[in-house]
Amino acid sequence: MHIASICLPNDPINATSIRMPNKINHTELCEWLTAVATHRDKQAFTHLFQFFSPKIQRIAKIKVNTDARASEVVQETMGNVWRKAHLFDGNKGAVTTWVYTIMRNVTFDMLRKVKSNREDTLSDDIWSLAESQNIQEDDFTDHLANNNLRSVIDDLPENQQQVIKAYYFMEMSQDQLAVHLNLPLGTIKSRLRLALGKLKAQLGESHD
Amino acid sequence: MIKHHPKFQLIQGFVNGELPASLSAGIAIHADLCSECRQQISLLTEQLSYASFEEVTVDKYSVSDSGKQDNVNPLYFEQAIAAITKSNDIDIIEPKIEKNIIFKNHVYSLPFVLHNMVLGKTANIGKLARARIQLDENEIHSSLLHIEPGGSVPEHTHNGFELTVLIAGQFSDKEGEYVPGDFIMLDKKHPHHPVSEKGCLCFTVANDSLHFTQGISKILNPIGAFIY
Repeated sequence: MHIASICLPNDPINATSIRMPNKINHTELCEWLTAVATHRDKQAFTHLFQFFSPKIQRIAKIKVNTDARASEVVQETMGNVWRKAHLFDGNKGAVTTWVYTIMRNVTFDMLRKVKSNREDTLSDDIWSLAESQNIQEDDFTDHLANNNLRSVIDDLPENQQQVIKAYYFMEMSQDQLAVHLNLPLGTIKSRLRLALGKLKAQLGESHD
Repeated sequence: MIKHHPKFQLIQGFVNGELPASLSAGIAIHADLCSECRQQISLLTEQLSYASFEEVTVDKYSVSDSGKQDNVNPLYFEQAIAAITKSNDIDIIEPKIEKNIIFKNHVYSLPFVLHNMVLGKTANIGKLARARIQLDENEIHSSLLHIEPGGSVPEHTHNGFELTVLIAGQFSDKEGEYVPGDFIMLDKKHPHHPVSEKGCLCFTVANDSLHFTQGISKILNPIGAFIY
């Protein structure tokens, strides 16, 4: 289930029968970010800002509590996008993932400042290790694990795949799913339970 | 081979940025040595980012969302964007340089995640040496713990939790032998008595003092506070 590789250029949700309003156009986001990186394109940056800033504002508000701090997260995150655009590699992941990690790091450092009164910026050290986009250098086991995971989803019956993709990728609630698929809630619940059971076996239970 | 991994919930908290710096560092040290968890982290990061920026998810947080979004003051956008784009400077990423740390003439490569953390002075008791990592996380204390060959920590349990991530060397307890990268999370249900024949360096995080379970506990009390 390597989202990065399947959402560019085609959104995986297109492959299902679920149609969602305002789907993310990953190809467009990628073009904008590339234009910022190569031409310092302010118009492209404006597009990115308009797309991400209201979302970041709302996500950050939940974590940092005040509108003022959430705005700081927006400004800091988008500032990083402007200054680090050249470091983005479209072959290694989606723009949304990249911006998400920046937002997460900015929020982490800000909360640490608030809670521990520390001005250190540890986030880049904490997450550069785990995510250093070294996915190309994965060893054999990694590929196995990844393929297993993908095949687990692909092996699910079509109706379970549909439910798990909407639930996982789009965080639709079970009620929303029932409405969208025009099925009883009980059916959604049981499909989800079956599918999640198989996924959990891959994702969670091997970890003690 | 690494046998002890962080639980799924911990990895999730890590990816979300919800764990304290100490536990996040522990997971980073583990993930640096564990390709399986690295893979899981990047997978979860993709999933979370996808979910976070989907319109559907975002809408859940605000009922009046669509109206609000259209009404964002265009002046605010202009000013915010101008403030960011007025400089064309870009961030240069400096190459990582190895850093070593020495405990009693043993030289260890310091995990990258600890490079910019402030270490306190090393304190010694017998074959144990401890350097506090100054993260200021209230009751959560992080340290580097060094055990010289043949050293051990008396059998103890914890009032809170104790995380040990083995950085280098080996130690063992009744559960078996541990290798670098092993991520060992224990609570008060798990009394243990780690022994290191060949010596080791560990990253430890605890949120309460240790509680010794064997006879001479009064004499050992200072060690409980020392290790915490």
